[in-house]
Amino acid sequence: MTWPAIRTILDGALVTAALSAISILLSLPMGLLLALLRWRRIPVIEGLLAAFVTIVRATPFVTLVLFVYFVMPAIGLELDPVPAAILALTANTAAFSSEIWRAALQAFPRDQREAAIAFGMTDTKVFTRIVFPQIWRASLGPLVSEVTILLKCTPAVAVIGVVEITRAASRVGAETYEPLPPFLLATLIYTVLIAVLVRSQRVIERRLARRMGLTPL
Amino acid sequence: MAELEPAISARGVCKDFGGFEVLRDIDLDVATGTTTCILGPSGSGKSTFLRCLNWLEEPSAGDILIQGKPIGRTGLGRDAKRMARNELAAARTSIAMVFQHFALWPHLTVLGNVAEAPVHVLGRPRHEVEAEGRAILARVGLAEKADAYPHTLSGGQKQRVAISRALAMKPKVILFDEPTSALDPEMVGEVLAVIRGLAQDGLTMVVVTHEMAFARKVADTIVFMDAGRVREVATPHDFFANPQSERTKRFIARS
Repeated sequence: MTWPAIRTILDGALVTAALSAISILLSLPMGLLLALLRWRRIPVIEGLLAAFVTIVRATPFVTLVLFVYFVMPAIGLELDPVPAAILALTANTAAFSSEIWRAALQAFPRDQREAAIAFGMTDTKVFTRIVFPQIWRASLGPLVSEVTILLKCTPAVAVIGVVEITRAASRVGAETYEPLPPFLLATLIYTVLIAVLVRSQRVIERRLARRMGLTPL
Repeated sequence: MAELEPAISARGVCKDFGGFEVLRDIDLDVATGTTTCILGPSGSGKSTFLRCLNWLEEPSAGDILIQGKPIGRTGLGRDAKRMARNELAAARTSIAMVFQHFALWPHLTVLGNVAEAPVHVLGRPRHEVEAEGRAILARVGLAEKADAYPHTLSGGQKQRVAISRALAMKPKVILFDEPTSALDPEMVGEVLAVIRGLAQDGLTMVVVTHEMAFARKVADTIVFMDAGRVREVATPHDFFANPQSERTKRFIARS
């Protein structure tokens, strides 16, 4: 492969990494917010959120991307490809991660919350001091696995013209008639990106375990 | 000690869960500096009553007063408005609670558990609270466990941490909800010894318990509950030597 070809793929890698990073940072807190709002059981809002989660979960990701890019303008939301891609990725992972957060919230021990309330904590304090510091640890594994799925969804944004790793690799392959090297490189980059995520998870888990005197699994 | 307003008063407290009356018209005054033990068979409403005192359960009717000030509602009587959530939270800071299953916060160290509410609810400086916290832990025999996490402790140690957590709030009253019921027999003693020490120091405590011998030795007042009512309020001596009702006699005889 020539250097310009490699550059093309590396640029794609940058796009993939940036799209993923931004979408992760937006979608995980949004998923938590969704879960918290649904947990409150506010009549109309609960129904709307449940519908949002159900529809997004049921829609294939490519369809969701096309929907955001081509249908949203009809209701006045006209986005460039990259913001549209970020919106689709964020909506998708927010919906899936909200189920992870919700499970953690529901499983949270009632007596710990009660103790916090009995000691005069307000709802906000109970959440920020007692509940959240525990549920993010409990949810770390499933969330990281959700985030790796997000990363693997990114090639779908090529349908609206965003050039990320896979798109870049297939372009190079088409131009050079040699698909093997660009796709090997693409695979290598994906593997590295996923490894970074999984590795960070392990590091965080191990640190927590060491601090709390637990034996790491 | 000067005659003060009762630390806690319950007036006509009722509680029903979906039509089932758990508490029926309960009146009780707990004098400042005294230990009140609430005895009674399982299902008599003891724990529910205790949980009404800090409004963990909302009474269906009746008033709770902490040193003369209503908690839960802004005034007296059924028509008084409910306190705002923040107001209720603030009112709870003067009443600490010790739970049957400890309810420690596992992500915090022992000292972290003790300091959590004084720092983050009362807004006191951490270094000051931690110094006091270490002193309290030393007192309950857990000085060397300050930096350990709860999961490394025995049940008796956990409950002593929970008691330290309550003491760190410098509350007007401490409520104990069956503090030894979840413990191995061997650990019951160490926890009761701590509570007994607090009683001797003149803390105001309300203890729901099945430990008759403990109640006899430590309580200033014994409250006997059955079927959601207070059947008898007496000194330990009178309660055990001269029970007033048939129901009380049967209860004492069986235990």
